[in-house]
Amino acid sequence: MTTTPTPSSGTDAPRRRVLVHVGTPKTGTSYLQDVLFRNREALRGHGILYPADRFDGHFLAALDLMRLTWGGLETEAVGAWDRLAEQVRAWPGTSIISHEILSTASPMQIDRAMTSFGEGAEVHLVLSVRDLVRQVPAEWQENVKHRSLVSYAHFLEMIRDPDRDTRIGSWFWGAQEIPDILDRWGALLPPEQVHVVTVPRPGAAPDELWRRFSRTFGLDGLDLDLTPERANPSLGVPETALLRLVNKRVTPVVDPPDYRPLVRELLAHQTLSRRTSSARLGLPPATHAWVQDLSRSWITEVEQRGYDVVGDLADLLGAPSETFVDPDTAPADELLPAALDAITALLVEGSRLRESEANLVRELEEARHELHLARRSPAERTVQALEARPSGRRAMGVYRRVRGRQH
Amino acid sequence: MSHAAAAPVAGSPGAARAWGWVAHLRDGGTTPWSAWTGEAPATGRVLPGAQQLELLRRLNLAGGVAPDVAQRVLTAAAPGRGKPDLALVGVPGSGYGPRPVDPATLPADELVRVATSVLAEDVVRLGPARAARGLPRPWGQHHRVAGDPVLAVAAREALGPRRLGRGPMVVVGAPLDQMLADVWTRRCFERGSFGWPEWLRFWQQRGQLPPRIDLPAVAERHAGSPGGVRVVLDPTALPHALGVRRVPAPRRPGADAAELARRIATVVGVLVPTDERAALMSQALWPRIPRTTMPQVSVPDEHREWVTRAAERMTGRLQRAGYPVVGDPAAVAPVLTGETPAPERPDAAVLELAVRMLVDDDWTKETR
Repeated sequence: MTTTPTPSSGTDAPRRRVLVHVGTPKTGTSYLQDVLFRNREALRGHGILYPADRFDGHFLAALDLMRLTWGGLETEAVGAWDRLAEQVRAWPGTSIISHEILSTASPMQIDRAMTSFGEGAEVHLVLSVRDLVRQVPAEWQENVKHRSLVSYAHFLEMIRDPDRDTRIGSWFWGAQEIPDILDRWGALLPPEQVHVVTVPRPGAAPDELWRRFSRTFGLDGLDLDLTPERANPSLGVPETALLRLVNKRVTPVVDPPDYRPLVRELLAHQTLSRRTSSARLGLPPATHAWVQDLSRSWITEVEQRGYDVVGDLADLLGAPSETFVDPDTAPADELLPAALDAITALLVEGSRLRESEANLVRELEEARHELHLARRSPAERTVQALEARPSGRRAMGVYRRVRGRQH
Repeated sequence: MSHAAAAPVAGSPGAARAWGWVAHLRDGGTTPWSAWTGEAPATGRVLPGAQQLELLRRLNLAGGVAPDVAQRVLTAAAPGRGKPDLALVGVPGSGYGPRPVDPATLPADELVRVATSVLAEDVVRLGPARAARGLPRPWGQHHRVAGDPVLAVAAREALGPRRLGRGPMVVVGAPLDQMLADVWTRRCFERGSFGWPEWLRFWQQRGQLPPRIDLPAVAERHAGSPGGVRVVLDPTALPHALGVRRVPAPRRPGADAAELARRIATVVGVLVPTDERAALMSQALWPRIPRTTMPQVSVPDEHREWVTRAAERMTGRLQRAGYPVVGDPAAVAPVLTGETPAPERPDAAVLELAVRMLVDDDWTKETR
């Protein structure tokens, strides 16, 4: 490690720094962004700006910068990057921007982003990276959680295609090819302003990744609430296989705005991810060997470039090959327990929605009744007030007899 | 996973050749990259992608564009999840990133992505139509219109702003396959949509019809409203039903125009708030998009059965209706003429139309 971008101290002249964290996906980014968002007021007190008024504010800004659609979410992103950049330009200290989809930005979009930070800003790039042994299966799972029907075998074929002619292959390498991301984002920066944070190998201390992030972002020594509230949990082999089968049935009939809360959130994140005893997804042996060869070449490349490495580049090699459980051939009896959990979760959610619907119907009826009462004529009000009391009803009876009416 | 070239190495002969090509294209040149040999110093921090450069060359081949349009093309973000900006083959790079390409070999779809980014900005700049002036005519008969959205546009045009709104509801219908094509086409000029095949499959699998053309449901919703409701299936009876002398012929953009609009709508959706997109697309682009020779999308044979069954059910409901139906309820039966259908992926024609709109900006100036 050569330098750490720390917020300016009280004695120095204020220096505008922008720390741009661009991924990669599945490297603890959700946790980092959650901590930064929840502690944004405390961070301001220390001269650090995390400019967001909602948890996914930087995601929306990235969608806007890159003109990306995301199941309808992009419609909430209009103008989000310009608003973010305006806050960064106005902040005299350190600003942090963080979202993993920025890893796929094109050179032109990156140029626009860098320009938007204004003259005189000292920009630092932060890239958190994890071994491909874990990234490849994780990325397939992400695809499945985003309505994909693609089998694992086909997914692996697509990412091994050197032409990257498929959307999946093109997106995967855009978000995962570490030297290329560093080329695109780091082209205009001196190497000491490029910080590569490696995700520790399995078995490391639970807080090791946070320690690396904290050091990189200059958060050491700050009193921050680190309670984990958000994560992007992974699924086991049968759970992912089940979800892919569900996708085959529901994607033609469930729109993306409904898919996100019902399938991705309720089924995948809140239900199936809790089944932690099932087999974890890995790589077939041949793919494992190919991935490790590729990783070795990346390690050599990154070492030569002289970036600030936080952690150990050897982390990128990944764990040795283990027994591979193929999700494409998962037998039905292994899917059954996960399927029962899914049905249960959907029934509970259905019950909740029915109760919610009943409450809304009741409130609507009450509102209609109030409206009806408000619109009564004076005569109707008088009659209804009299009908509510025994003496009034007797008086109304006399009145009706006098008028010759039966009711 | 490393390739021959990616990010250009500044100052290399390959980079100088690339910047030379950029200058050539900015000047209106049409020489393909593979035949280009001239060099020039860099005029920017980032070399435009192969998609942007090749689109500009195609624009130059089609007559050329103003310098500001050329600049917008060269800096345009290709929206969505297609290929990233690609490097030019023959320009030395770091060896990482997607494989560099000869831009002349890029598929039309990749160039359309860049074009839609620029065209979407044009649509936003045009803004929605100004509200029509003039006082309503209290003595004239007013109508509201629903049903097939393309026929409804023509009917509203016939009524004009002074006789539209309040009054009886006229629900206009047509053969069901035509109405399906009309709904999808109109959606492309509103909020955008899935592609035509995916959209049709969506309704097939749901076992429902798009709400706008479920004519009995629309009519039943309005049956109790002041003035009542009338379903009109006979196009010759429509002027009388609306109380006008004539109704203009419905305008049905071809499959290529609808596909281009669909893709533009996606980009407009990231440029303006949701509630403005439909107004922008339907008011700024629908009346202006140039005419093409390609026919409208049509229902393919594989959907014939369910569309026919849905039409039969609709006929039955209209026959039992308690509101007036002008024309034969069986007129909703699909025609499925078997005419030469538009290609399922009209990429080349879509690119041709996009190029035409970027080269000739007349479409931005007048309403056809």
